[in-house]
Amino acid sequence: MDKLKLPDMDYVALLPMLALFVAACLGVIIEALVPRRFRNIIQLVLSIVALAVAMFFVVKQSGEVVASKALTAGGAIMIDHAALFLQGALIVLGFVALLLFGERSLEFGGPFVAQAAVTVGSERDREQTGRELGSTETFPLALFSLSGMLLFVSANDLLTMFVALEVFSLPLYLLCALARRKRLLSQESALKYFLLGAYASAFFLFGVAMVYGFAKAVDFKAIHAEALLGEGNSLLLIIGLALLAIGLLFKVAAAPFHVWTPDVYQGAPTPVTAFMASCTKVAAFGGLLRVLYVGFDGLGWQFTPVLGAIAALTVLVGSILAVTQTDLKRLLAYSSVANAGYILIGVIAGQQLGLTSVLFYLVAYGFTVIAAFALISLVRDADGEATHLSRWAGLGARSPLYAGIFTFILLAFAGIPLTSGFIAKLSVFGAAIDGGQTWLVIIGVITSIILAFPYLRVVVMMWLSEPGESTPSVSIPGGLTSTALGIGTLATLVFGVVPGPLLDLAEKASSFVR
Amino acid sequence: MNPTLADFGHDNGWIVALKVVGVFVFLVVMTLFTIWYERKVVARMQVRPGPNRHGPFGLLQSLADGLKLAFKEDIMPLKADRVVFFLAPVISTVCAFTAFAIIPFGPFVSIFGQKTPLQLTDIPVAVLLVLACSGLGIYGIVLSGWASGSTYPLLGGLRSSAQMISYEVAMGLSIVAVFMMAGTMSTSEIVNAQAKGGQGELFGFEFTYPGWYVLLLLPSFVIYAISAVGETNRAPFDLPEAESELVGGFHTEYSSLKFALFFLAEYINMVTVSALATTLFLGGWRAPWPITQLGPWVNQGWWPLLWFTIKLLILLFVFVWLRGTLPRLRYDQFMRFGWKVLIPASLIWILALAGFKTMNNENLPGWQRGLWIGGFAVILLAILLWPRKRPAPKLPLEEEVAQRPEGSFPLPPIDLQVPVSPRAKRITADREPVQ
Amino acid sequence: MSLSAYVPIVWLLALAAAFGLFSVGIAPFVGPRRFNRAKLEAYECGIEPTPQPIGGGRFPVKFYLTAMLFIIFDIEIIFLYPWAVSFDMLGVFGFFEMVIFIITVAIAYAYVWRRGGLEWD
Repeated sequence: MDKLKLPDMDYVALLPMLALFVAACLGVIIEALVPRRFRNIIQLVLSIVALAVAMFFVVKQSGEVVASKALTAGGAIMIDHAALFLQGALIVLGFVALLLFGERSLEFGGPFVAQAAVTVGSERDREQTGRELGSTETFPLALFSLSGMLLFVSANDLLTMFVALEVFSLPLYLLCALARRKRLLSQESALKYFLLGAYASAFFLFGVAMVYGFAKAVDFKAIHAEALLGEGNSLLLIIGLALLAIGLLFKVAAAPFHVWTPDVYQGAPTPVTAFMASCTKVAAFGGLLRVLYVGFDGLGWQFTPVLGAIAALTVLVGSILAVTQTDLKRLLAYSSVANAGYILIGVIAGQQLGLTSVLFYLVAYGFTVIAAFALISLVRDADGEATHLSRWAGLGARSPLYAGIFTFILLAFAGIPLTSGFIAKLSVFGAAIDGGQTWLVIIGVITSIILAFPYLRVVVMMWLSEPGESTPSVSIPGGLTSTALGIGTLATLVFGVVPGPLLDLAEKASSFVR
Repeated sequence: MNPTLADFGHDNGWIVALKVVGVFVFLVVMTLFTIWYERKVVARMQVRPGPNRHGPFGLLQSLADGLKLAFKEDIMPLKADRVVFFLAPVISTVCAFTAFAIIPFGPFVSIFGQKTPLQLTDIPVAVLLVLACSGLGIYGIVLSGWASGSTYPLLGGLRSSAQMISYEVAMGLSIVAVFMMAGTMSTSEIVNAQAKGGQGELFGFEFTYPGWYVLLLLPSFVIYAISAVGETNRAPFDLPEAESELVGGFHTEYSSLKFALFFLAEYINMVTVSALATTLFLGGWRAPWPITQLGPWVNQGWWPLLWFTIKLLILLFVFVWLRGTLPRLRYDQFMRFGWKVLIPASLIWILALAGFKTMNNENLPGWQRGLWIGGFAVILLAILLWPRKRPAPKLPLEEEVAQRPEGSFPLPPIDLQVPVSPRAKRITADREPVQ
Repeated sequence: MSLSAYVPIVWLLALAAAFGLFSVGIAPFVGPRRFNRAKLEAYECGIEPTPQPIGGGRFPVKFYLTAMLFIIFDIEIIFLYPWAVSFDMLGVFGFFEMVIFIITVAIAYAYVWRRGGLEWD
């Protein structure tokens, strides 16, 4: 019989993904074979080593990108500059978030529950909340999720993209359900996220089918060529793109597909929230960028107004609803919705400038948001984290250092100069004006001012109120949380003061290979 | 000339109709016959005569039973979900019949002058059709259990579905080896692939042994046979209808012809898995070795139908034999056996066979073969000898009894009070005079 | 290969469905009808039936676990079949690909085994 012709595989280019995947599989074996009390440290070390290996190969690969060789794995994966930048960002942000996963000194057994399926409120449940070591499956799950994200930002056809979407989403649904405290909220958030995520995936898949009906292919190059040609049923293409966009905008939490965000951010364990807020955003925007810039480039005039409306709605919804929030995690969730809107403005801006600004924004925002959630995990009372806004009143007097850091982070979210948030917003708005989307910039600036209000309210509460009976204490963070917090805060400061190197890097990376 | 995949799909409409009716009648007759056969064989094993009143040797007994069922009252329990309760037996029956569509009964025959293969049809994914039908058949069982609105059927249906999906995995894995050897999933071509035997010599006699996969792929056949019994819910794996625990299992609430349909489906499934075993492992309709010496005619025309039926009956006999001799397994033992023995064993066997075939195909030098086999053996030993959790040491009986709380088995408390049943309480309450 | 080879399957299915529906449909008319309220109660060996919530109520989570494991292995089988059919074409590459695939599933299997997911008691 005839031998099969094998697809070409550039294994070195795929190594970052493979390293994470192999490490995740090893992690599962560790879960099966290693006694419980050693698992956390082994898993943490394994994950960090895997991330380091992955990062090494990303950096190594970034010097050797050639447009003609970027396509690999039988045309399914494209390793170009933008993909490598996004992969690198994902790995670094994932590393910082995983440090929070491994923290065990804030609470006995860490932030995760031992057995998620135990009935909430039962005797068994109370017992495991206080006395059992948390599950460490979270590390392999996070690694699986990360490897899916790496694949997502480098997928060159819609089917690979869909597979990657599932690979990175499914572990996240599980992770959301693993909070040690407030189990019901956690389970609710996981279920909501799962159901809505499944719908979004279905939309995405329908979109793939429609686009396939139009272009008779699922890879971006063919779709682009077919769209330029303009033959065939363009209605299919438009519907397909709309459905794809729904799937992707769900993941980036753009209005009106943002409804899951506050509940999930609030219910999920804080390290997982940090992971989602930073890495999922990078991955989802990476995918969105590739779809829009590589596959549907020729349709710009058709989708820009719609996306513009969505971006405007997103920033408005995010900022206005943030004002009404009384829970810090929910507040940050709405702030992340608003930030998704700002990034969308950058996406709509188009051209290389828009791409550069989006890449910069994603990295800058990722670090800041991880630092914010790291800090939230420190402020706790007997029932775990104290996230209600009123509880934070007077924190400045209790713990000036952490209140100061949080103030700095909030100022970065608000976009005050000397923080990375300022540079990020500036570059996005600049790109948007350059791309002729001035109206979006006006809305963006107005909402930024609205959004500054809830942030400043927290700052005022922390510093200008007297600490009361109910003001929780700030736990002394262990080495891991301090490192994560330090990295996040430092990155926020450095990218705010000397943004040059990262902007240069983002600019170099802002080119897709078709 | 033996039928191949390309020979199907060319039949006239009326030949198709004839074949469809033929398969249908074959299955119904086989069911009636198998019920009698089973009762007779079990009776003989228990040294009693078995059915012997209706017709010669009691052959018409099952027909009489079937007719009697039709004239029984059709009960629809109050709590039942009417539509699903109504449809569940139909689903079971339809799936059971449909699976038989691709079983080859023989080579080309001529029906009223038309030359056509003695097989309803064949498709490139024929064996998958059987698996799909057995998978869908589970719906009939689980829905009937659910729709009855009663506890025993629900438990029986759940058990049954868990059991069937577990053993379906083992069954699906066991036939991978057959596809690997035959290079196809079409049943007629799998039968053809087993036609060529090898030359053997025993005590000076040269003979041709059949190329049956039961000889080449014995582990596959063993796994298939075991999981087929589990898949058809037959003793010793008849846990879903374990009479001592669940009355009738999923069909407790069914009566009349609806019950008859479940019975029919169960026996057809038995016939189907036996027919599939014949096709995949026992050379299909081809005559076995000594008969082939009589001449080429034994494998032509209508004769193969006979060999096929004989093989089928032998396999059915094994089903009955198992029922007659083995006690029922406990549910946990049964599930453990399926998941922890059958599935890993099939996977390892598939890998070993694939490795062996790859070595042969690539013509590897001897030392490389040694390396491969050595590596495989090392991994296998590592899996087998992996340290397990040691069970807690068993205490002597006296200590165990001493550890139990006061009043446990075997010594009940002296002031033992049997609680009054709520029903009895209610009845006595009714009788009490109104003050 | 045209689809005409699939048509007889549909006919057999239709015949079986007609037979099944006919039998189920005719049963109430052929049999006798002797009303008795106790007959329509759920059967529980003569004692009064335990009331059951609509939809069967809750049952052990083990069944869900088995169902999920089944899906994983069923998908593995679905990947194994085409591989087995075209085994001779795939050569050493195909063999090692499948080894890697089976190992990946085996890792999950080992995890479930060690964590007690395969125990019924």
